[in-house]
Amino acid sequence: MGRGDAEEVSPPVSSPELEQDDGDDDCYLSDQEDDALEESVLQVLEDGHLEDCHWSSSSVITKEYLLGAQKEDLRKMIELLGLKEHHARTLLIHYRWDVERIFELLDQKGRDRLFSEAGIPLRSTSNAGLPSVTEVTCNVCYDDVPISAVSEMDCGHNYCNQCWTEYFIVKINEGQSRRVKCMAPKCNAICDEALVRKLVSAKCPDIAERFERFLLESYIEDNDTVKWCPSTPHCGNAIRVKGDIHCEVECTCGRQFCFNCSSEAHSPCSCVMWELWIKKCRDESETVNWITVNTKPCPKCHKPVEKNGGCNLVACICGQAFCWLCGGATGRDHTWSSISGHSCGRFTEDQSTKTEQARRDLYRYMHYHNRYKAHTDSLKQEAKLKRDIQWKISISENKDSKIKDYSWVINGLNRLFRSRRVLSYSYPFAFYMFSDEIFKDEMTPQERELKQNLFEDQQQQLEFNVERLSGFLEKDFQNFADDEVMDTMKHVINLSNVVDRLCKQMYQCIENDLLYPLRTPHNIAPYKSKGLDRASELHICLDSAEQSSQSMKYSHDEHKTQPGLHSNESGSSLLGKRPILPLHGSSSDNSGRPSHKRERKSGGALFDLNVPAELADKS
Amino acid sequence: MVDVSRVQKELTECNRDSAISGVSIALHDGGSSISHLTGTIAGPQDTPYEGGTFRIDIRLPGGYPFEPPKMQFITKVWHPNISSQNGAICLDILKDQWSPALTLKTALLSLQALLSTPAPDDPQDAVVAQQYLRDKSTFLNTARYWTEAFAKSDSTGMEEKVQKLVEMGFPEDMVRSALLSVNGDENMALEKLCSS
Ligand SMILES: [Zn+2]
Ligand SMILES: [Zn+2]
Ligand SMILES: [Zn+2]
Ligand SMILES: [Zn+2]
Ligand SMILES: [Zn+2]
Ligand SMILES: [Zn+2]
Ligand SMILES: [Zn+2]
Repeated sequence: MGRGDAEEVSPPVSSPELEQDDGDDDCYLSDQEDDALEESVLQVLEDGHLEDCHWSSSSVITKEYLLGAQKEDLRKMIELLGLKEHHARTLLIHYRWDVERIFELLDQKGRDRLFSEAGIPLRSTSNAGLPSVTEVTCNVCYDDVPISAVSEMDCGHNYCNQCWTEYFIVKINEGQSRRVKCMAPKCNAICDEALVRKLVSAKCPDIAERFERFLLESYIEDNDTVKWCPSTPHCGNAIRVKGDIHCEVECTCGRQFCFNCSSEAHSPCSCVMWELWIKKCRDESETVNWITVNTKPCPKCHKPVEKNGGCNLVACICGQAFCWLCGGATGRDHTWSSISGHSCGRFTEDQSTKTEQARRDLYRYMHYHNRYKAHTDSLKQEAKLKRDIQWKISISENKDSKIKDYSWVINGLNRLFRSRRVLSYSYPFAFYMFSDEIFKDEMTPQERELKQNLFEDQQQQLEFNVERLSGFLEKDFQNFADDEVMDTMKHVINLSNVVDRLCKQMYQCIENDLLYPLRTPHNIAPYKSKGLDRASELHICLDSAEQSSQSMKYSHDEHKTQPGLHSNESGSSLLGKRPILPLHGSSSDNSGRPSHKRERKSGGALFDLNVPAELADKS
Repeated sequence: MVDVSRVQKELTECNRDSAISGVSIALHDGGSSISHLTGTIAGPQDTPYEGGTFRIDIRLPGGYPFEPPKMQFITKVWHPNISSQNGAICLDILKDQWSPALTLKTALLSLQALLSTPAPDDPQDAVVAQQYLRDKSTFLNTARYWTEAFAKSDSTGMEEKVQKLVEMGFPEDMVRSALLSVNGDENMALEKLCSS
């Protein structure tokens, strides 16, 4: 999407690199130039016009930052709305950590309604609620308890500490710890987390730890814009996306995934289509279906026999002839519709059309699946192809030749991989786009045919050029003379650009001509000419974070210092050098940039956030 | 695990004024387990349940009172929010709206209130709820009949009477409505059946 706009925003300029290649007019832009272009587009996007396009940027939240990120959001609430920490958290959890929405609603609903809907008591009670006696009767255990052993919530309800503790433990064990309501009937107030922490840790430290972990993970579990990276074994990271959540991201661990459904990146297939497709591929129900519809066991040797041709007399390789309709053994003497000496009378039009339908469905599935598989299989060769090419480049570079720059090979190869991905996922897309399974009443048969032709035309063009590009990249250019190398280079650069343009066009066709007219909205992740966005690392403004860390008490040491402050200790010099951004991460431009994995600290943390709580609790 | 002292206090407190409240609780089958109880509710006035006594099976989970008690009608009852099959109850305070500050007595009183004001939009028994919404008079008749047949102490002989009349050749539904209309008098019912 982005690049489509790019050309309108700032027209292509010729790059210095290309001018060396004696200015071949047929050569389109090089990838380097595209990067420059895209940066200007990003700038434009960030300056405004974010609304109507699939804009999104992602940032990775490592376990060190998980706390920092939520502290930052909490701090905003505490400072701007004058809330206590547990009320700020209650509000954020209720509105799924969407700070902007909270401020929007504050305008629309007003403070009182916003708070009471989230379970924050409006009045701040003084301890006047507790009678001035030394003992009270707890309304849960009916025991008389000294006033010192009673706790009151902000809503004014009070019970004995022992009852509160039991209650909190039951709630935490039920997994409800993010929103523990007051014990009083019909009271919606959320309990003070400091009290929960204090009482529970005195009795069951392990349960208090779970409570703490649940609070921490709420930032991910109750947050539509943050998801755990689906890597296994889990890398410990979560990814936060700003903007359209229909996008594909890459974690710093290298795992690429569809942010919306956490499955592998599958665009231009939609999440719905992808889910159906993997299910279909998994159970191969078509094949089973086909075998049951298209074969019958031989009455003599019991092998499955396929019907070939229109007549109902079938012959097994064992020599036995039998009637297709009833499965009974017969002689071989027959006409088109009857077998002599045999009358089962089961021939019906219905039977044969059902068979035909099953056969057609299977062939349709096989058609798409074969092509899908051909491209995914080629992708599996990715690593090997890359190694081969590197080897060819190293030979070429050491050759006695005036050509020293072979970056076009790598650029071409990356283009090949990206476009193969697009092609591969375009087959399951087409399989569902032009069938009744999802879009039964969306198109008339005529419309469907028209659109299918339009799409397949683009798909075929793309496929044709991808294979050509692949052909040129497989050439043994290391053995070529200079002019042959130049010729190959021109073709590779040319085809790379053609293929990129065709991918873009196919996405435009999908988004504008196929999906846009649908009555039920259907979204796909946008085309990324440069490959997936790698999530940028999250940085927190130190000044404000430091301020807030003073106002917040956390039980363990790690939380007191902000990550980033001691980045040098943890061995990640990268952090120190990079500018500290305000909380939201920005889309990082990463094409060709070496992967900057950061070492994660392991000591000091109270819990192992490498596994989400549910998993950890099960083990 | 169950807070025994609290449950004992609850029982005493509940049974103290059961004549007025219409609800009472006892150990199940006179047994000895404090976590298995039986509650009784008097059918509320001006409802098809009036005059009936409804028995409820009460089981207290280990986390009681921090977890809700499990309640189920033992007595068969025709009501949109109570299963006509197994007596399961659809009531919010027995699920997520339970509060440890509520008691078994308040829960039984809520059940009594539920008998007075059914909530057919959130049904436990879809068949009953449909009938309640579409054919109120049939609903009232059936509910009344079930109360007669299952919730009254003298209803023990009811099934025998039905059986006897059915064996004489009358259709069961006619037998039941005839018996119902004459308050279970076998001879009067027979007369009625013969004259119709
Ligand atoms: Zn207490
Ligand atoms: Zn309260
Ligand atoms: Zn990861
Ligand atoms: Zn998806
Ligand atoms: Zn055979
Ligand atoms: Zn034949
Ligand atoms: Zn036959």
